[in-house]
Amino acid sequence: MTLLVLALFAVALTLLGFFVSASLLKRLTILGLSLGVVALLASWGKPLEVGPYRVDGVSQTFTLLALLGALWTVGLVRSRRFEFHLLVLYAALGMHLLASTKNLILMLVALEALSLPLYALAAWRRGEGLEAALKYFLLGALAAAFFLFGAALHFGATGSLEAGAPGAGPLYALALGLLLVGLGFKVALAPFHFWTPDVYQGSPTPVVLFMATGVKAAAFAALLRIATPGPSEALALLVALSVLLGNLAALVQKEAKRLLAYSSIAHAGYMALALYTNNAQALGFYLLTYVLATGLAFAVLSEVSPDRVPLERLKGLFHKDPFLGLALFLSALSLLGLPPLAGFWGKYLVFSEAAKAGQWGLLVLALLTSAASAYYYLALALAPFQKGEAEAAPRPLARNVALLVGLLLLLLGLFPGTVLPALAAGGQ
Amino acid sequence: MVILAILLPVLFGLLLLLGLPRGLGLLGAGLTFLLNLYLFLAHPGGVAYGVQAPLLPGLGVYWAFGLDGLSALFFLTVSLTVLLGALLARVEGRFLGLALLMEGMLLGLFAARDLLVFYLFFEAALIPALLMLLFYGGAERVRALYTFLLFTLAGSLPMLAAILAVKALGGSPSFLLEDLLAHPVKGSAAFWVFLGFALAFAVKTPLFPVHAWLPLFHRENHPSGLADALGTLYKVGVFAFFRFALPLAPEGFAEVQGLLLFLAALSALYGAWVAFSAPDFKTLLAYAGVSHMGVAALGVFSGTEEGALGGLFLLAASGVYTGALFLLVGRLYERTSTLEIGRYRGLARSAPGLAALFLFLFLAMIGLPGLAGFPGELLTLLGAYQASPWLAALAFLSVIAAAAYALTPFQKAFWEEGGKEVADLKGEEWAFAGLSALALLALGLFPGFFLEGLEPLAEALARALGGGA
Repeated sequence: MTLLVLALFAVALTLLGFFVSASLLKRLTILGLSLGVVALLASWGKPLEVGPYRVDGVSQTFTLLALLGALWTVGLVRSRRFEFHLLVLYAALGMHLLASTKNLILMLVALEALSLPLYALAAWRRGEGLEAALKYFLLGALAAAFFLFGAALHFGATGSLEAGAPGAGPLYALALGLLLVGLGFKVALAPFHFWTPDVYQGSPTPVVLFMATGVKAAAFAALLRIATPGPSEALALLVALSVLLGNLAALVQKEAKRLLAYSSIAHAGYMALALYTNNAQALGFYLLTYVLATGLAFAVLSEVSPDRVPLERLKGLFHKDPFLGLALFLSALSLLGLPPLAGFWGKYLVFSEAAKAGQWGLLVLALLTSAASAYYYLALALAPFQKGEAEAAPRPLARNVALLVGLLLLLLGLFPGTVLPALAAGGQ
Repeated sequence: MVILAILLPVLFGLLLLLGLPRGLGLLGAGLTFLLNLYLFLAHPGGVAYGVQAPLLPGLGVYWAFGLDGLSALFFLTVSLTVLLGALLARVEGRFLGLALLMEGMLLGLFAARDLLVFYLFFEAALIPALLMLLFYGGAERVRALYTFLLFTLAGSLPMLAAILAVKALGGSPSFLLEDLLAHPVKGSAAFWVFLGFALAFAVKTPLFPVHAWLPLFHRENHPSGLADALGTLYKVGVFAFFRFALPLAPEGFAEVQGLLLFLAALSALYGAWVAFSAPDFKTLLAYAGVSHMGVAALGVFSGTEEGALGGLFLLAASGVYTGALFLLVGRLYERTSTLEIGRYRGLARSAPGLAALFLFLFLAMIGLPGLAGFPGELLTLLGAYQASPWLAALAFLSVIAAAAYALTPFQKAFWEEGGKEVADLKGEEWAFAGLSALALLALGLFPGFFLEGLEPLAEALARALGGGA
C-alpha cells in the first residue's frame, strides 16, 4: 500500500511538476508523504509478502521514521524549484523499499534508489555544495560496490541471497563484513564516516536533516536484517570507534552543523549497540527520539541561516525568539540523553540491550563517551542564552512545529510506555 | 496521597511559569507543607501510601512511590524549606515556579521505590536548578553551570551503568526496590556496581575531591538565596547511599568502607577549614554544608544503627537551618548590597531582631544542644566511634571548628564598631523567624519523635551490613 501510494505520487508529480507552481507541488508532495504514512498506519502490524518485497514490523517501524524525516525536510525547505520535493519523494520510496526486503539484490537497488536523489540534493547549493556532493557520490559508489561484492560472496558462501541465511566459514564472515561496510557508509559508522562532516557542512540544512534521519532509519533497518546471525567482533570495533571518534571530534567543533555531523556518528555507534540482541523495538525508539531531536535542532539552525551556523551566531537567540531558543535547548538536552526528555529512554533502551548481551566493556565506553558529549551538547544548548546578536527570521509555522516537537520530546520522555508497545507490534 | 504531594508543587510551579501571580506560589508551598505535615503525623509505619503503575511494560520499570519514615521526614523538611523560601525570597513569580518544580522533583526522588524512577527524578531535578542559574544567575553563570553539569553527569552516567548491572547481574525481574533487595549482586561485580553508585552520590554529597562544583554554583546563583536553599536540599548523596548503594551492593561497600570513611572525615575537616577563611556569607555556608555533609556521610558509612540515624537526621536538619540561613543572607544582601563579611560591621545596633535571628540560626547550625543540629551530631559521633575511633575524633574537630567559623564572622558583622544603619525585621520576616525557630526547636527538643520512623530502616541496614566494621 505504502509503496503504491509513494510510487503513484512520485510518477504523477514528476509529470505535474512542469505545469503547476513549485509551492503547489510542495503541498502535493506533503500530501503524498502524509498519505503514505496513513497507508502505513492503516496496515500497522499486518505483514504482507509479494516476492522479495516483504512488509513486516521492522519495515513498518523504520519506514515510518524515514517518512517523518522526509515530511520534515519538505516542510522546512524554501526552494523555488520543484525538483527538490520530487527528489525527496523518490528517496523516500527507496527508503521504504530498503526497509522492506531481505533480498540482497533488491536491497542494493533500493540503496541506489535512495542514494541517487540524495547525491543531487547534496549538490543543491553550487560551489561548496558541489564538492560535498562529489565526495558523497564517490564514497557512496564505493560503498555500493562493497555491498555488491558482499552480496556475491554471501551467495557463494550460503547459496542464498536472503539476508540472515545461516552460514559459516571465512568466506561467510568476509561477506558479512563487506555488507557491514556498505551499510556502515550509509549510517556513518566510524571508520566509514569521513564524508559526514564535509557533506553535512556543504549541503543545505534541510537535506542534512534528511540524511541524518531518513537515511539512517532505512539503513539501520537493513543492518538489523543482516546482523541477524549474531554480532561479531567487527561490529564491536565499529561501535567503539564510532562513539570514540564521533564524540571526541565533536568536542572541538565551533560550527553547529559540523558538530551535529560528528555527533551523528556517535549516535550511529550507540544505535549499533541494539544490533547485539537484534531488538528492533529499542533501535526503533532510539531512532524516533533521534529523528525528533536532530530534526528539531536542524530546523532551528535553518531558521537562523540556510548556510553555516557558527556557535557564535546562536548567541542571544533566546532573547530574539524564546521559542526557537527553548527548542534548541530541549533538542540538545534530548540528544545528550538527560531525563525526563525522550532521548534518555532511547539511550536507556539500547544500553540495556548491550547489558543483556553482556557487552560490559562497550557499555562502559558508551557511557563514558556519553558523559564527555555533555560538553559540546551543553555548548549548543546554552548558546541561545548567552549575550549576543543572533539573527533569526522565523516563520510562524516553523515556530509552531518547533514548539510541538519540543513538547513531544518531553511527553515521550514522561510516557515512553505509550509508544513502545506500538513499536513492539511493528517491531518483530 | 504521595502522588498528590508530588504533583501539587509541580502543578503550582507550572501555573507560575505560565505567568500567574506570585501569591499563588506561596499558596502552593503552604498547601504542600500542610499536606506533608499531615502525611508525617499520620504516617502509620512501614511503606505507606504506595503507588505502582507500569512505566515501561515488559521491561520491569514502574512508576512506584511509597512513603516510609525516611521519605516522610524529608518530605517535611523539603516542603518547610521551600515554604520559608516562598515567604522570604523577593523573586519574580517564574523563579518561584521553578523552585516549586524543583520541590516536586525532590519529593519524587525521596519517595521513589523504583531504582530507574529514582534516577529519572535525580536527573530531572537538574533542569529547574539549571534554568534558575541560567536565567537569574550572576555574570559567570555559564561557567558555573558547565562545572556543575559536567561533575553531575560524569557521576550519574556510571550510575546508570550500575543500575543496569544491578538488575542484569542480580537477576531481578524489575527495578522495584524490594525485588532488587531480594536479588543482591554478589562477588567481584558488587565492587564495580558499588563504585558506579558511589561516583554519582559522592558528587551529590558532596565528598572532598568532587565537591569542586559547589562554590561556583553558590557564588553565581541569584542573591535572594532561594536557589541556594534548594541547592542545599539537592545534596541528596547521603540519602542515596543509605537507600540504594549500601543495601544493593553490601559486598562492594565492605571493600571500600575504609576509604569512604576517610573521605567523609576529610570533607568534614576541609569544609570547616575553608569556611573559616571564607570572605562572604554564601561561601561560608557553602563550605559549612560540605563539612556537615561529611559528618552525615561519616555516620551512614559507619554501618551502625546510631551512625545511620544521626547521619540522616543531620541531613534533614541541615536542610532546614542552612536553607534558612541562605535565605536570610539574601535579605541581608538586599539591605546592604554586599555579601562580604568585612563590609557589614555593627549591624546589631540598628537591627537587633535580625542579629538575634542570625545568631539563633547559627547556633542551630553549630549544634547547640536543644537545637536542630545537636541530636544528629551526637548520634553520628556514637556510630562513627564504633567504626573508627580515630577518624571519628578527627571529623569531630570540625564540629568544634564550626563554632569558630560561624561565631567569629557573626561577631564581626554584628558587633564590631562602625557600620551603617539597616532596617530591622518586619512583616513576613517575623513569620519566617517564627516558623524556622519553631521547626529548629522541635527538631532539637523532640528528636525522638522524628527519629522514630527512621529506626527500623537504620536497624535493617546495620543488620544487612553485619552491624558495623
